[in-house]
Formats: sequence, structure tokens, C-alpha cells
Amino acid sequence: MNPETLLQTPPLSLYVHIPWCVRKCPYCDFNSHEAGKEINESAYIAALMSDLDQELAINQHREIKSIFFGGGTPSLFSAESINNIIEDVRNKALLSTDIEITLEANPGTFEQQKFSDYRSAGVNRLSIGIQSFNDDKLQRLGRIHDSKQAIMAIESAYAAGFENINLDLMFGLPAQSVAEAIEDVELACKLQPSHVSHYQLTIESNTYFHKHTPVLPATDFIWDMQQHCHDTLNKHDYLQYEVSAFAQAGKQCLHNINYWTFGDYIGIGAGAHGKLTDINKPSIQRRWKQRQPAAYIKHAARENPCSGTSELDQSDILFEFLLNALRLRHGFTYELFEQRTGINKQRLLEACENIDPDLLVISETGLNTSPRGFDFLNDVLESFLVSKK
Amino acid sequence: MSMQNIRNFSIIAHIDHGKSTLADRLIQTCEGLTSREMQEQVLDSMDLERERGITIKAQSVTLNYKANDGETYQLNFIDTPGHVDFSYEVSRSLSACEGALLVVDASQGVEAQSVANCYTAIEQGLEVIPVLNKIDLPAADPDRVIHEIEDVIGLEASHACHVSAKTGEGIDELLEQLVREVPPPEGDPDAPLQALIIDSWFDPYVGVIVLVRVKQGSIKPRQKMLIMSNKRHFGVDEVGVFTPKRESQQVLNAGQVGYIIAGIKEIDSARVGDTITLASHPAEQPLEGFKQVQPRVFAGMFPVDADDYDDFRDSLEKLTLNDSSLSYEPENSTALGFGFRIGFLGMLHMEIIQERLEREYDLDLITTAPTVVYQVLDTKGELIEIHNPADLPEVNYIEEIREPIIRTNILVPQEYVGNVISLCIEKRGVQKNMQYLGRQVSLVYEMPLSEVVMDFFDRLKSVSRGYASFDYDFVRFQADKLVKVDILINGERVDALSIIAHQDVSQRRGREVADKMKELIPRQMFDVAIQAAIGRHIIARTNVKALRKNVTAKCYGGDATRKRKLLEKQKAGKKRMKQFGKVEIPQEAFLAVLKVDSK
Repeated sequence: MNPETLLQTPPLSLYVHIPWCVRKCPYCDFNSHEAGKEINESAYIAALMSDLDQELAINQHREIKSIFFGGGTPSLFSAESINNIIEDVRNKALLSTDIEITLEANPGTFEQQKFSDYRSAGVNRLSIGIQSFNDDKLQRLGRIHDSKQAIMAIESAYAAGFENINLDLMFGLPAQSVAEAIEDVELACKLQPSHVSHYQLTIESNTYFHKHTPVLPATDFIWDMQQHCHDTLNKHDYLQYEVSAFAQAGKQCLHNINYWTFGDYIGIGAGAHGKLTDINKPSIQRRWKQRQPAAYIKHAARENPCSGTSELDQSDILFEFLLNALRLRHGFTYELFEQRTGINKQRLLEACENIDPDLLVISETGLNTSPRGFDFLNDVLESFLVSKK
Repeated sequence: MSMQNIRNFSIIAHIDHGKSTLADRLIQTCEGLTSREMQEQVLDSMDLERERGITIKAQSVTLNYKANDGETYQLNFIDTPGHVDFSYEVSRSLSACEGALLVVDASQGVEAQSVANCYTAIEQGLEVIPVLNKIDLPAADPDRVIHEIEDVIGLEASHACHVSAKTGEGIDELLEQLVREVPPPEGDPDAPLQALIIDSWFDPYVGVIVLVRVKQGSIKPRQKMLIMSNKRHFGVDEVGVFTPKRESQQVLNAGQVGYIIAGIKEIDSARVGDTITLASHPAEQPLEGFKQVQPRVFAGMFPVDADDYDDFRDSLEKLTLNDSSLSYEPENSTALGFGFRIGFLGMLHMEIIQERLEREYDLDLITTAPTVVYQVLDTKGELIEIHNPADLPEVNYIEEIREPIIRTNILVPQEYVGNVISLCIEKRGVQKNMQYLGRQVSLVYEMPLSEVVMDFFDRLKSVSRGYASFDYDFVRFQADKLVKVDILINGERVDALSIIAHQDVSQRRGREVADKMKELIPRQMFDVAIQAAIGRHIIARTNVKALRKNVTAKCYGGDATRKRKLLEKQKAGKKRMKQFGKVEIPQEAFLAVLKVDSK
């Protein structure tokens, strides 16, 4: 790349991927694998540590702002294992004093004690995959838990001392009525989590649902669900700050905001993706790891678990910045744009000339989508897309 | 070789009745090609021809046959196209011959297309030899088919050759019969040269190759030849015959069929039907040529990507080099941008040209619904030809609209005759004749060409389980109550979607097209209003409701490439659509007008 403005080193996060689940959900296209009888936790942890060593070697002396254990189902791992990883990071890297450490947990995979131990290990934010409080819907989604276990999970989290809790909810589920979708949100709000992620069920290719697609509510119904659910979240003071993310004041997820503001992140674990800025070269690079857990473990032990890297050119950088930053309800400032991309804001404004003016708000200080553009974000992004030969 | 030992002949056959296989077998028997060179169906040389199993361009093959009488005969076989769109090429091929083999599938019987071509051959004074092919099939019924040939065509067929081109059975007898019954050509080798141009095509290495039948005189290399209509001179470089390989000869004599290469650059200089003579001893009169073919069907073609316009024009120019029946003029559509309005001989011709443009020239094209040529008598008494419904003058300037009427001959087995008559009535046909001929019924109808263009062929096949066949000829232009139906998208007329329809069915057609549009136009960010209108009068309306949102719920954490690929895929899908105002109209919509009837 050839920066036009002063490229600055952005904040750095760490993502740790735990690629196992009790059972693969029919809608899930993430890199997750059924756990089988027993997972060799210690071998995987050893691989993660070796992976981390190699990543830190190229990112020396940078402070880590957040850690996110995602999956898969990280709560399948013992608190001891999680503790070992966090300890290892602490020993090797500089952690910010107000670091956010999130762990994804699925109801039905832990008991009260485990949560307390996670808390002691330093995890200070839990993201619980509730999806729905309706037993019929949970069954249709192929989840292993029921509504009782879902509520119990949340109560255990509180009892273990967690104050920062996210609940994942899905809507637009097979056979779901508008009233049922609202009910799920009402119930979630009553439990007072600090954060709610409210996703529409999407049928992805390479999933069971793609091959055997269930009957989903009509798109206009789904729109009504979304409207009502958003109203409900608003009423309970959960403010939307991203397409699918709602939070109480000051409780936004730092880790995700780092993605959306085009920050840097190290990704360790099977299939994990990282993005790193080097202002000296200068370059912005994406790196990804071996996808299959067994291959990952093998490569991490011997040499390098990295399965690919790519350097972004200017048009990639511009587009990928927008791909992330326009997901934020309030968009971004030109200052942030120039710092993160090294691209002159003039070039951004030129790219905006092709976009329907109803969809964007171009202000003195920054750029965000109009409410309509926010609903049609794919159309906005598509117009920014320059086809590559 | 003496003229007495030359035989010029064609094969008349319906598609699938085995003409190409028979031709291959004849070539093989006369050792025109070694078996190593023998490629299946050598005559259909374009990929498309071989794929579709049809012949588009006439070709010729010269074979040497040693007959039972001990003499060696030169057999000149001139191939003919088998589809109704190309019937004009048939009469051209036949004019170079003294005889024709009428090949009929011994299990299927006579088909309308062969009847028409057979009559052309008889009219041109050719000796027609009936041949029953595929007699090896269990379903073959030679006696019935012989009666059919006698009933339907009125041709004595008791002596018909029984052959199987596939197994080779009967081929020797057929060759003997051919030598015996087809008369040798006549003509004076010492008279001034008269050579009829049967075909001409462009070869990138040698320029235009002209296929001729020498009627009088002779032609050799290094002579100066003269094209009689345009008085242009060319030096002859090479003459010869196809065996089917190109083989040069010392001379082409009266009675022979062969090619001439003379450094001709443009195909227009040596048009089909023209007469070639020698500059030194010109003939007094040119031979009687052929009628110039008129395109009957017109459609607009537009590049999906406006940047391809120049490539598109170049490709059309190249195609015209080998297909003089193709005509085009630039067209500018508000909906589709710059393109060409192209005249075709029929629907098959159109499909073939579109396929060749897309396949051989790698173009992405949008084709509008084909339309026939209309004549408009305006209020000032002038007669205007309309190739595009969008060009129709305002209603108050129109005195009358005339549409092309064709006369069609349909042959159909008795059990389906009721279905076929209903179809003809639906298509505004007027019955002119009906005759029971053995198992088959011959129907003669006059009907508007526009109805034939739509989907008549497919419908005819489906109501007769594939047994009916038909053939048609243009007869006249005739005034009728015709109106233009416009399609409006969000209040604006889309010129490329206008159609001309008979008043009695215009309301229904308008509604059907509007409904079809609704089916084809995907939901987008805005409501899309679709209307059908005749003049200012709206006859149908419907709309495509706006989408409420288009946003991906989940962003895949750190993996930005996945999301990007999804968006790129979505965008590529839209490339096949045409932006009209803010509305994206998919390509199929422009042909939808054609599809509404075929339920």
C-alpha cells in the first residue's frame, strides 16, 4: 500500500477460537465440529500457546485491549484450560488495565461452579447463546437446551459475579409468530443483561438448513418482527449501535467495536482470522489459520499454523473499512477513516458520489447511513464494490 | 470427364430423417474420404449445425463412382438445409441439380417440409427419386410410406429404393439408380461462360469462396472473370471441387459444380444468384437468378455491457460475411441503450445467430421479443415499414396497419387433426383446404406470421405429440385491427417491451405480459409499478412490492473476505439485469412477451 495520510497503529484485540460443540446446529456455518467423546484440551491449548508466540513475535510491545473466546462452544473447555490461556497471554503480552475478556457459553454445557471459576480466571464478560426462550423454537433450531436451562444459565452467571452479560437471540425462526418473537425479547429484557445481540436467522450455504430448508416466516412478517422487537429493546433502554447489537449505556462490546472500527486483531485457534497493520512497512495484512482442528494442532506444534496471508490493496482497504464501519449506527469520523486506512478522505467522498444520496448522511465530520441506508446496507455496500478482474 | 458421366443431385429430407447419415454413407462408399478422415456427418461443418443436427448453409461434395456398367461417374452432391427458416436456400441448391433424392423415414412417413421442397424440385424440372431410409428399424413400414408418398405428393414410388444409411444396406442399388435415372447436365462447353453463384462465403485465408454451377462454357485459373450484375472484374486464382476436402482442378466445365477463388474481399461483390462470365468473351445474358430473401422476423439485440458495443458491431460484420440473409441497423433504446435491430429469416435463424454471437464472439446480449414486419398506411397516404413496435406512429396518424400473412401447409395424422384445427383458429388462421391422404390429413391455412413467430411451432408439436409438421410461405400484407400495447414501469414506457397485438386479444395479452413482468422482476428497494397501456388507456396494472430491508444480520467476526464474496456474488447476479431508472429488470423479462401464451 501507499498511504496518502498518516496511517496509525490501531488498538489490538485477541480472538481465541475453540472449534468444538456438543452438536452442530443446523443453521451454523462457523468453523465448529462435534466434540465426540473427549477433546484433547491440553494438546489444543499447547497449540494455541505456540500460535500465540508466533503472533506476538510480529506484534511486539502492543497492548491488548480485549480478548474474546469464541466458537464453537468455549464453555466446553474447563475453567483451568481457560485460565491457562489467559495466564499465558498475561505472561507474554501487555494487557490494558481495563481489558474486556469475553467468553461464549451455551446453556447446557456448564454448572454454577464452572462459571465462578471462569470469573476467577479473569473472564469479565459472558456471551450466552440463548437464541430463544421458546422450547418449540429451540427444538426446531436443533439446540441442546430448553428454556428452563436458558434461564438457569443466566441466573448462574449472575450468581458467579458476572455483571457484563450478552444474550444472543434469533428471530425469523421456523413457525415463529410476531408475538413469539416479541415475547423472547421481553423475557430477555426482564433478565437485565447489559447487552443483547438480536440476529435474524439466515440460511447459509454449507449448512443442514441450506439442504433441508425449513419454512420460514414471509419476509414482510420478519420485517414486522424486527420493528416490534427493536421497539421493545428501545423501550427497555437497549440502544442499537450496530445492525444486530443492542446495549445499555456504556456497555457496548469493546471487542466487536474494534472489528467494526477496523482495529487490529490477532486470531489464534483453528480457522481464526487476524488483521494486522504495520505502519513501518506500511501494510495491512490478513492472516488465517488451518481450519481443521487436527491439522491446526499438528502445524502449530511443528512449524506454523498459519494457512494463508494476504496484503490488502487500497481498494480492499477502502471497501473492507466500509464493510465494517457502516454496520455501526452512527458510522465513523473522517479522522478515524484516515488513521485506519491511510487513505485521503477525498477518495472516500469520491466513492460516495455513486451512491443514492437517500442512503447516506455525509456530514462535516464523518459518514453514516441514513435510516433507510441502514436497512439496505447490502445495497449501499454493493455500490461501493469495485469489481476486480 | 465427359458431361454424359456427370450427375448433379440434392437430397430432400426432413430433419431427423437421416440425410446427413446418408450423405456420409455415400461419401464413404465412393471413398471421398479415407475412414480415418471420416468424421461423423462431415457436411454439417459448423459446430452449431452438428449439435442441432441441422444444415444451415448449402455445401457440395464431388464423388467418383465406378458403376456396374464399368463407367466412372462424377457425382456432385449439393446439400440442402432442412429447416423451414432456410427454405430459400433449398431452391438455390436445387437449381444446380438435375435430380433429387427424396429421403423419407420408413417408420415416420412424409413430413410437410419435404413435401414443399419436393414440389420445388418438381417445378424446377428435377428427376425426383424416392428413397425409404431407416428400413432396419423394427417400426419401419415401407408399404404404408410408399402409399403415403403417392397420396400426399403424387409421386410414383413403387420403385423406391429401400436403404439403411446406418447399416449401409441398399446403398449400392441407390447409387446405381441415381446414375441410371438422373439425367446428365446439358450445356455447351464452348459457349461463353455462364456460371450461377449458388453460395459464397468468406474464408479468412483465401477471401471469398464462390460455389458455382457452370451452365455454359468453362473457367480456369488466370482467366479474367466478370460478375454480371455489378460489372466487377476479378482474376481467377483457383478453381476446384469439394471431395469434401477442397481440391483444385485445371478447369470447371459446363455441367460441373465447383468453387472459384478470385481474391474477392467482400461477399457483396459475389452475391448468391448472380452470374459469372469471362471478361474476354462475356455471355450476352445473365442466368435467371434467385429472389433476394427478405428477413421476416426482427428483434433488437443489445450488449449487456455498453462497453461491448464496438465488439458487437464487429462481430455482426463478420457474421454477415457468411450469412448474406442477415441484415441489421443500429437501434437506440431508452431502456437498453445502443444496440442493433436485426432481421432474421425465422425464429431458428434468430436463435442460431444469438448463440453464435454469444459462443463464438463471447458477447453477453439481451434480445428483445421478436416481431414481424408491419406496414402502416399513414393519414398522408404513405406506406411505412415498421420493424420495431416502438416506431409505430401515434394512433391518430395511422390509417391502417397491415400484417404479413402466410400460407401454411400442415401434415398431421388423423387422430390429432381436431387439436391442430383448434390451434389454427386460436392463431387467427383461415382454413383454405383440407384433404385426407391415407393416414395423414393435409391442412392449408392462411394465418398472420406474427402468430407463427410466437410459439406456433412448439404448440403444434405439443398438440400432435410431435407428429404434425408444417411449412409456410409469405403471401401478402393484409390490414387488420391491430394495436400497440405498451408496458410502463413506474409510469415510464419501456420501448423494448412494446408489442403489436390484435385488438380482440390485446387486453388479455396486456394483462398477461404485466403479470409475467411481476413474476420476473425481483423485489427491490422501491415499489415497482407495472402497467400495460394501449395509447393513453391503462388496461392492466400490478406491482412488485418493495423489499423492507437488505442487510446481513451477522458479520463473520474477523473474516471480512466471506462477507465480501457474498456481496460480490449478489452484484454479479445483478449484472444480468438492466437498470431502468431505479428499477432493475432482468434479461428474461425482455423475452417474456413471447412466453405468456405457452401454458
